[in-house]
Amino acid sequence: MTASSVILRSAARERSALPPGVGRRLLVRWAVNGIIATFALFPILWGLSSSLKPADRIMEFPPRLLPQTPTLEHYARVFGDGASGYILNSILVSGATVLATLGFGALAGYALARFDFRGRGTLMALTVAVMSIPVASLLVPTFTLLSAAGLIDTRLGLVLLYTAYQLPVVIWMLYGYFRTLPVEIENAARIDGCTPLATLRKVVLPLSKPGLVAAALFVLVFAWNDFVVAVTMTSSEATRTFPVAIYFYLGFYGREWGPLLAASIVSIVPIVAVFIALQRHFMSGLTGGGVKG
Amino acid sequence: MRRAELWMPWRLLAPAIVLEATLVLGPLLIGIWYSLHNVRFFQIRAYVGWANYQRILTSPDVLNSLWVTFVFSLGALVLTFVVGFALALWLERDGRGATAMRAVVLVPYMIAMLVGSMLLKWVFAQESGLSGMVLGPLGMGDVSILADPGTAMAALVFNAMWRDSAFAMIMLLAGLKSIPPGLHLAARVDGASAWMRFRRITLPLLRVPIVITLVRLLIHFVNILTFPLILTGGGPGNATETVVLKMFRLGFQDHVLGQANALALVVFAANLALVGVLLLLFRRTGRL
Repeated sequence: MTASSVILRSAARERSALPPGVGRRLLVRWAVNGIIATFALFPILWGLSSSLKPADRIMEFPPRLLPQTPTLEHYARVFGDGASGYILNSILVSGATVLATLGFGALAGYALARFDFRGRGTLMALTVAVMSIPVASLLVPTFTLLSAAGLIDTRLGLVLLYTAYQLPVVIWMLYGYFRTLPVEIENAARIDGCTPLATLRKVVLPLSKPGLVAAALFVLVFAWNDFVVAVTMTSSEATRTFPVAIYFYLGFYGREWGPLLAASIVSIVPIVAVFIALQRHFMSGLTGGGVKG
Repeated sequence: MRRAELWMPWRLLAPAIVLEATLVLGPLLIGIWYSLHNVRFFQIRAYVGWANYQRILTSPDVLNSLWVTFVFSLGALVLTFVVGFALALWLERDGRGATAMRAVVLVPYMIAMLVGSMLLKWVFAQESGLSGMVLGPLGMGDVSILADPGTAMAALVFNAMWRDSAFAMIMLLAGLKSIPPGLHLAARVDGASAWMRFRRITLPLLRVPIVITLVRLLIHFVNILTFPLILTGGGPGNATETVVLKMFRLGFQDHVLGQANALALVVFAANLALVGVLLLLFRRTGRL
């Protein structure tokens, strides 16, 4: 008998010999989990179900939980009203923001992680402070500034703002990640004649993929989801991002919930997909890089 | 160190510093400048000193919005924190079930606030039929949740709890994970009950993460805009018009930018005080 089969057997014996009461405890555990999951997911599933009902059945009373004759008519309508253009804007703006924050964030994070200079402590504190200040209280003067700079109602303006808002968090996360790397490799590269910039590019960044993914994910979710900044800083359809479009649908479709809910579901799908794929990375982002997984 | 090396960190930091100085510090200075002037439709008319501040701090609408923000923040803070803490304790253990459940709880937090509030609006809206179905047997079949000041506020607080308890959970989970498991084991050997271990080990060691979570939630709630804008529209009347929603409307609907900036700076001052607490904690404990 091999060692592994011994372990397997004893594990099986343990499972079959569960002490009494454990079964009931498991039952309670999954009942509580069921309640939690319902609480978290019901509004989304209810929206999904309603979005699949024909227009004349959405407000049926008493409401049915599941659509009797599912239809994609509301989705067709949303895409017929230009949703793809808005989605493209969202993708462009989010993508550019991710690239800009990672680039600038890596430079700044590396400076804070590996150089000892006067003012370093102050900069760290400032990073934390800017990271914590919500954008909402600065919306009105930011609009004024962007107008003066001719960047209002442009995608570039949005990218610059998003980058400014998310850069501190990215700096913080990458700083934390760089500090976990062994400094000896970098020293070796420096002795071989690499400049600090070349060391960062050729040695540090390739070793930092998990940290970069976590930061990218964090920024991506922010940029894809942002509504408050985009709705104040853009006005034309050409620059409209998807969340803003959903907000305008609210006025446009009025009480027609079908297209509204369909658009909402369309906005959720990519985020949930990315989230399921990269969940672990996101958790570390939420706590500012302090905790992994 | 060579001279070039001395400047290296500043060269690496330059893009970030320039960006933050123009797009975060810049608006702040513009805001201060505008708040001291009479501004109509983006044209500065006249220097008015503190008049804008006087005006907004005596305006019944603004005072109402401050009260609304206070009530909302308090309700949302307590409920979100309690639910988040319960979730953290419940889902602390390792294993596939708990990990999957954590992901499920995070979904409302991951999706756009706008979309979340829209979906909840549909749950609460009278025409969706859900409220009629649930409240009907209680004899309140034609109650419209979002049309009554009290229940509209409750819906707003529910929105906060539904979305943000996941955030509280993650923050507190991080704290729980940093407690050495040996402590609980030792206490258990000594016969301490679960409640005893929670009171004497978990709570004291979680003090800093708890304060940080509370402050970060509070900052978020004081600045709330999307929930009331989408879910209740600030209504009925102005029963759920929070201070940032009021500021948003003063600036982008009424175009009285002087007053809007003055109000923005009042909110900003409150933020600064809260961020100050975070910084103090960060300095003392190195935690965020």
